Amino acid sequence: MIKDIDKFLSDLEKGELETADGLPHSQMYSQLLAIYLFQNELCYAKYLWKRIPINIKNSCSDVRSIWTVAQKMWQRDWPAVHIALNVEWNKNVADIMNALKERIRERAIILISEAYSSLDITTLAKMIGLSPEESRKIAIEKGWHVVGTIIKPHKIYKQQTSSTVEAITEEQLYKLTQFVSFLEN
Amino acid sequence: MASALEQFVNNVRALTAEENFRELSSVLTKFNDVLKKNVQHLDNVLETLDLQQHSIGILAVLCAKFSDFNFVSVTMEVFKPLFNQVQEFIVGCNGEQVRLVPDMYAELCHHFTDALVEVKMPIRGIDLLCRAIRKIQLYDSQLTSIHGDLCKLCLLAKCFKPALEFLDIDITGISTDDDAKYFLLYFYYGGMIYTALKNYERALYFFEVCVMTPATAVSHIMLEAYKKYILVSLILNGKIILLPNYTSNLVKRHIKRLSIPYQELATAYSTNSCDDVQEIIEKYQEVFVRDNNIGLVKQVLSFLYKKNIQRLTNTFLTLSLSDVAARVKLPGPADAEQYILNMIEDGEIFATINQKDGMVIFHDDPEKYDSPRMLAKLEKEMAECAELGKKVLEMEEEVIVTPQYVRKACGQNDPDDQAAGPPPTNVSNAQSQPKHNTYTM
Repeated sequence: MIKDIDKFLSDLEKGELETADGLPHSQMYSQLLAIYLFQNELCYAKYLWKRIPINIKNSCSDVRSIWTVAQKMWQRDWPAVHIALNVEWNKNVADIMNALKERIRERAIILISEAYSSLDITTLAKMIGLSPEESRKIAIEKGWHVVGTIIKPHKIYKQQTSSTVEAITEEQLYKLTQFVSFLEN
Repeated sequence: MASALEQFVNNVRALTAEENFRELSSVLTKFNDVLKKNVQHLDNVLETLDLQQHSIGILAVLCAKFSDFNFVSVTMEVFKPLFNQVQEFIVGCNGEQVRLVPDMYAELCHHFTDALVEVKMPIRGIDLLCRAIRKIQLYDSQLTSIHGDLCKLCLLAKCFKPALEFLDIDITGISTDDDAKYFLLYFYYGGMIYTALKNYERALYFFEVCVMTPATAVSHIMLEAYKKYILVSLILNGKIILLPNYTSNLVKRHIKRLSIPYQELATAYSTNSCDDVQEIIEKYQEVFVRDNNIGLVKQVLSFLYKKNIQRLTNTFLTLSLSDVAARVKLPGPADAEQYILNMIEDGEIFATINQKDGMVIFHDDPEKYDSPRMLAKLEKEMAECAELGKKVLEMEEEVIVTPQYVRKACGQNDPDDQAAGPPPTNVSNAQSQPKHNTYTM
């Protein structure tokens, strides 16, 4: 499900618009909401929540607990996000929510490495939602200095992603000719 | 009476068979009253016509049905049969035929939109209007008056993604004879959608187009767009960006007078004092609530905190968290840490927090402008500019050959000297100015 999540998402979105009697069932909404969170599209998630019919909100506990996660993500209250994520998820959203959990933790680690030159181990543990011992292990794995309860993170350099495939020289030349001919005329 | 309807059907059939669609559309206007008077028989009429062959005829009948429909406190069940008929029509009609009667087609869509708003089921129409637009558009970047309807339904349904497909395309042409109202509404609603999704740059552009549209009087749509323009401009730039000088003077003169609370907010904002801004918000609370802008106004305030933190980076290299909190008037060092953390993640400031000593160290922007990513971005923007330049040239050529232009250009100058070549620079200036805003750069 995670692999071709984009396709799954567009199917769900289409499904919502095309449902004949305007009453899509709750599973669709909870999956949509979960995917928006996974993609960090909080605005979409917010407005989706606003348009979910009230009876589904009341009857479906999944939708409600996913929304709690969304609210905490909106406030960027990381400790609370992890608490909200530690719920037993239904089968149809479990995949996405577990992937989201991983993604949030990665995001928090990158943020910490960029934003802190030193921080307390309890702050780290709260932000990545693990116990202090586990956090210490992760910190050591990353090669960060651990002195007592103070951790000194290094920046994690993101590798230049391969999205910028190196253009072939001829193509570059072609582009340059285009620009020059545009400027000259 | 039934005979009049028969006559209508015969006319439609005969003229369609001859493929004389111009004649047909002029005949249809004559039959308008007949159709409206015989609403109860219209379903029979529909049965005698073929969807593909007689698209124009069916369109006229459906429009008549809508004009008789009483929407007040109507439920979906009552509307359902008509809804299905419209759906069937839009999915199955002949695009070439309906393109000959764009006004009537648009009218149907406006009615349809109003009805869905009335029955409070806006989400049901989104997919259909997307199809309707695609059907009548000649090319992707053409604006039709149905665009506004689609945005309206999306706003009401709080479902924005379908509209983005259309909003993200820069408009290069407008289908003829469209009411300016729908043009303005498209840009106003579009701006609102972008604001809701926090794409403020694009939102600002949409509101700007709405306000700078040539006009002889200030419309309500323009005024509301201008209010939102001020707020978004404050969020994005920290001040009101002046309207471009090709905005009509009349609009510029009156619109300021009509938006005084917003002007005062901007003045308070320019002092960088959160207390002052808060004071203005309280003073005009009622106005902001009435304009449905209170949420946006509150966002303006929270952006001021961020802006003040950003300003600190200009003066200081290191600062303690409690100093930051004191200087930007946040409750405590923990709030300051939270703000700074969020801003670092968004790339709005570059800093590191040292929790051990409670200090923040501000850095310079690490971007060296030497990465392949930056080059790709540069290339993309240059290509966009080149495209824009081409478009302007095309339009200029179009203008130069119009008879009105030639007459005017020759009339002003000495006809003997200048007849051969009108000064092209004037045209390119006049044309390129509004066009430059097609891209927000």
